[in-house]
Amino acid sequence: MLDVGRHPNIKLLAYSELEKLTGEAGNFTATVRKKARYVEEDKCTGCGACREVCPTPVIDLYNEGHAQRKAIYSWFAQGIPSTHTIDPDHCRVLTGKKCGICQKKCQAGAINFEQKDTVLELPVGAVILATGYDVFDPSRIPEYRYKDIDNVVTAMEFERFLSASGPTEGHVYRPSDRKVKAEIAELDNKVRKSLKGLEKFEKDHGMTSAEFYAAHGNGSLNPTEALEKDRDKWVERYSAHLEHETPLLALKEKAKGFKSAKKLAFIQCVGSRDLRFYPFCSGYCCMHAIKEAIISHEHDNDTHSVIFGMDIRAVGKGFEEYKIRGGNNSNIVYKRSRVAEITKDGDERPVVIYEDTKEQKVKKEAFDLVILATACGPVKGAGKIAETLDIQMDRFGFFETDPANPLDTTRAGVFVCGCAHSPMDIPESVAQASSAAARAVQAVMKKNDQKAS
Amino acid sequence: MKTTGETIVTKDILVLGGGIAGIQSSLDLAEMGFKVYLVERLPSIGGKMAQLDKTFPTNDCAI
Repeated sequence: MLDVGRHPNIKLLAYSELEKLTGEAGNFTATVRKKARYVEEDKCTGCGACREVCPTPVIDLYNEGHAQRKAIYSWFAQGIPSTHTIDPDHCRVLTGKKCGICQKKCQAGAINFEQKDTVLELPVGAVILATGYDVFDPSRIPEYRYKDIDNVVTAMEFERFLSASGPTEGHVYRPSDRKVKAEIAELDNKVRKSLKGLEKFEKDHGMTSAEFYAAHGNGSLNPTEALEKDRDKWVERYSAHLEHETPLLALKEKAKGFKSAKKLAFIQCVGSRDLRFYPFCSGYCCMHAIKEAIISHEHDNDTHSVIFGMDIRAVGKGFEEYKIRGGNNSNIVYKRSRVAEITKDGDERPVVIYEDTKEQKVKKEAFDLVILATACGPVKGAGKIAETLDIQMDRFGFFETDPANPLDTTRAGVFVCGCAHSPMDIPESVAQASSAAARAVQAVMKKNDQKAS
Repeated sequence: MKTTGETIVTKDILVLGGGIAGIQSSLDLAEMGFKVYLVERLPSIGGKMAQLDKTFPTNDCAI
C-alpha cells in the first residue's frame, strides 16, 4: 500500500468517484469527482491531534460498527493517504452548529471548512474495474437470528476482534459482555456525577448520604434548621443516585464472571450455495474460517472451534495441508452439516441446532460465539457503476465478461478483476489484477502500433 | 473489440477501486512505465484486505 502512495507513476485519487466515462478504447475521458475532505491534503501530517479533540463520536464502519471514531477521522491508522477527513454528515460545523475546535488544534493549518469538491477530466486509454464486493447481509436468513443474538457475528466482524488494533485489541470478548461493560461505564459516569452533587450536603451536615437517608426513612433524624431546608433536595438527589447505583453494582457483579470466548462455532455458506440467495460458492470462506480458527487458537490455546459446513472446499496450492494442520494443531473439528437454526440460552450463549450427518441425529450445542461465513455478493452500487461505464452486469450483479477473454467487460477497453469479476480469494485477485494490467497494456499499445503503421 | 479507425490519445490507464486487486494492477502498470490514476471511493486505499487481521496461508499481517 505504501508503494502506491510513493510511486511516481501512480496518481492516487482517494475519496473520489467516477462520474462519467466518454469516448472509446484508447481515447476515453474520465470525469472524476474528488470529494471535499475539508482537510488540505498537502498540509495534513496525519498526526491525529484534531481527532483527539473532536467532540462528535460516529460509528466506525472500518471496525464493522463495533467501535467509534470521530467526525474527523482517518479510515484506519495506517491508511494511505494518511490525510484525515471530515465526515460532512456528522461534523458540527458542517451541519451548521458551533464548534471548530479541530481547526484551532491543527498546527499545520490544514483544516478548511470552505473546501469544495473538485471535478477532474482525465484522458485515459483503458480502464480497469476493481471495485470489489460487499458481504451478504445475514439478517436475511431469519433462522440465524443475526440481529437478535449479540454473540452471532460475521466473519469480518470477528476479523476485527482478532486484530490487535481492533475494538477488543485482539481479545475475543463476547459482544454481549462488551455491551454490559459499556452499560457499566455509562452508569459509572452517572454515579460519579450524582456523588458530586451529594458532596456538598455531606460536608455541610457532617454525615454520609446513606446515614442521612436511613435516619430520614426511620424517623430518627433530628434536623437542624439548615438540614430541614436541604432535606427534600437531599432525599430527591440520593434516590436518583440509588437508581443508578443499584443496577451498577448488580452489573459489576455479573461482569466478574466474564471470560473471553473459548468455544467457537463457524457456520459456512451463509447466503452462498443457498438457492434462496446466491447459488454459487463464494470460494474463500472455508479457508477464511480455518484461518480465523487457527489465529484464535494462537491467541489462546484453550480455544476450541467447530466448523459446520456441507464440505470444506480447500482447493488451491497448500490449502488442504493448511486445513489438516488446523485440525491437528489448532483444536478444530470439521462437522459435515448445514446448521438449521440458532437460538440462545440464559447466558447469552448461542445454541446451534444441526443434524450430525455421521450419526444421523439432530443435535443442540451451545457456543460462546458463532461466526457466520457470509457470502461474497456484488458491491453495493454495482448498478450505478455499470450505468456510468455503460457495461452489462450478470444476473447476480457482478460485471458481465466475455468467456473467451474472461477479464474483458462488454465495453472495449474496460477490464475487470478481483471480486468485481466474481467471488475469489486474495491470491486469485492478485493474479487476475496482473492479468488485467496486461490486457489494459495490450489495449493501449496495440492501437499505438496501428497508428504508427 | 473495434480496432480500426481509432486514434490513440493517451496511454494512461484508469484503475477504479483501491483494494488488493486495484493496488496490484496499479503497481504492475506503474512498474511497466504506464501512468496510472487510481480512484478509491473511501478516504484510504486497502479495501477489504486492510480489515483483515492476518492473511492466509502465511498468517502474515495484511497491511
